[in-house]
Amino acid sequence: MTAPVIEVEDVRVRLRGHTVLEDVSLAVYPDDFYAIIGPNGGGKTTLLKVILGLLQPSSGTVRILGGTGAAARRDLGYVPQFRTFDFEYPITVREMVLSGRLGHITRIPRRYGADDHARTEEALETMGIAGLADRQIRNLSGGEQQRAIIARALVGDPKVLLLDEPTVYVDAPTAAQFYSILDALRERMAIVLVTHDIGVIPEHVTRVACLNRRLYTHDTNEITPDMLEAAYHCPVDLIAHGVPHRVFSEHREED
Amino acid sequence: MFEILGFEFFRNALIAGVLASVACGIIGTYVVVRRMVSVSGGISHAAFGGIGLGYFFGIDPLLGATGFTVATALGMGALQLRARQQMDTIIGAVWAAGMAIGILFVYLTPGFAPDLFSYLFGNILLVPRGDILLMGVLVAIIVAVVALLYRELQAVTFDPDYAKVMNLPVERLSLLLLVLIALTVVMLIRVVGIILVIALLTLPAAISRLYTTRIRSMMILAVVLGIVFTLTGIGLSYLLDVPSGATIILVSTLAYAGALGIERLRQGD
Repeated sequence: MTAPVIEVEDVRVRLRGHTVLEDVSLAVYPDDFYAIIGPNGGGKTTLLKVILGLLQPSSGTVRILGGTGAAARRDLGYVPQFRTFDFEYPITVREMVLSGRLGHITRIPRRYGADDHARTEEALETMGIAGLADRQIRNLSGGEQQRAIIARALVGDPKVLLLDEPTVYVDAPTAAQFYSILDALRERMAIVLVTHDIGVIPEHVTRVACLNRRLYTHDTNEITPDMLEAAYHCPVDLIAHGVPHRVFSEHREED
Repeated sequence: MFEILGFEFFRNALIAGVLASVACGIIGTYVVVRRMVSVSGGISHAAFGGIGLGYFFGIDPLLGATGFTVATALGMGALQLRARQQMDTIIGAVWAAGMAIGILFVYLTPGFAPDLFSYLFGNILLVPRGDILLMGVLVAIIVAVVALLYRELQAVTFDPDYAKVMNLPVERLSLLLLVLIALTVVMLIRVVGIILVIALLTLPAAISRLYTTRIRSMMILAVVLGIVFTLTGIGLSYLLDVPSGATIILVSTLAYAGALGIERLRQGD
């Protein structure tokens, strides 16, 4: 098997006297589409922040492409939870996407080269927002803003794309369109998707884990009742309309 | 009124107004988009502590204010990185403590403190030639730093988390921005005084925000607006024989109110 792109080992995080993550270990491989589900407050965003180097774990290690340094993180693309930054900021879509190249520019002061501009146009095309490039981000619809944020992550040529609750603020048709875009990106990079809404797990995930302080996984793409019960601490009704049933195990005894 | 231009003090006032507007437009833009208005208010009022120390130790109060304000800005930045939760309380404490230090040291300084009133409320018509030179150097530093680090500062003020994932030196850039705010505040003390600094720092940028789509154009329009407000204020204060700092601020505030009103009408259509 090829080497994992992300390796999390025995990570433990304590914030303000509370244990938010405990004994969390996971490995993401280059061809993975990994979905992490769990209740609000279960530590999903914390886990992403630990992987991204935004939060130092109390103990445990995180390796990105085998390395632990901050420089290795430039191979991560990050799509933060919607509305975590100020959409009123005066910045055009093109400027915002272009800023995703800054991590790859090493000479100081940083200047964008022809290659950076070319990749920006490419990412705008990929996300279908080339026509909006000169618009200010606050004048875009929610779905368009979401695509601009993903374009910023793509322009850095990430090996892994990490998405935090990407569909919370968009309507159902936009969400469906969004998942078809993710499917297309799968050939180029591993994807890690975090969400509290088990109804939105797309069909093509390769693995699913449940996170509520601890991580529960069977290394398959099935959510089993015992995983859900362990994560949510209560029986969860698995009969959901419109949920692709292949995600859920029909055989409750199967491990 | 044109014969007034023949006087050196009036020419100095105009030059000081233009220099202050350039610094305000550029740094005020970051203050407005990054929502750092209260931090800047804290830094500017803490400057009074530096003025008081300057009097007490017999050095130029403006020089004392420069050192003290930069140190305060760095201290606030360090606190901000650690104590996100109580930041507004910390700003309030620093705000008042700076003023208190100033009052204490002015009181302890033997004799009468000359110009004390002009540091609090500004008097652009009394700016000496030496201060013009100091302001010129500070503006040159601010323009050079922002021109060199425009992209980095944009990334850090727009989305600091993402800047950190990209391995940019986010903490150092944030502290640098606070130092630039401190230097701008010191420049403005001569023009509008400590109490009114925050208005001149934020109002031109806030109006400019309504009509621009990028940081660069927002800065340019804010500089132009700042120049218009200060020159109008200086002219009016001369004609009406009223304090210049307060006049400049009232001109800016009226313009801001007007811009907001027009914006409301436009959106109502």
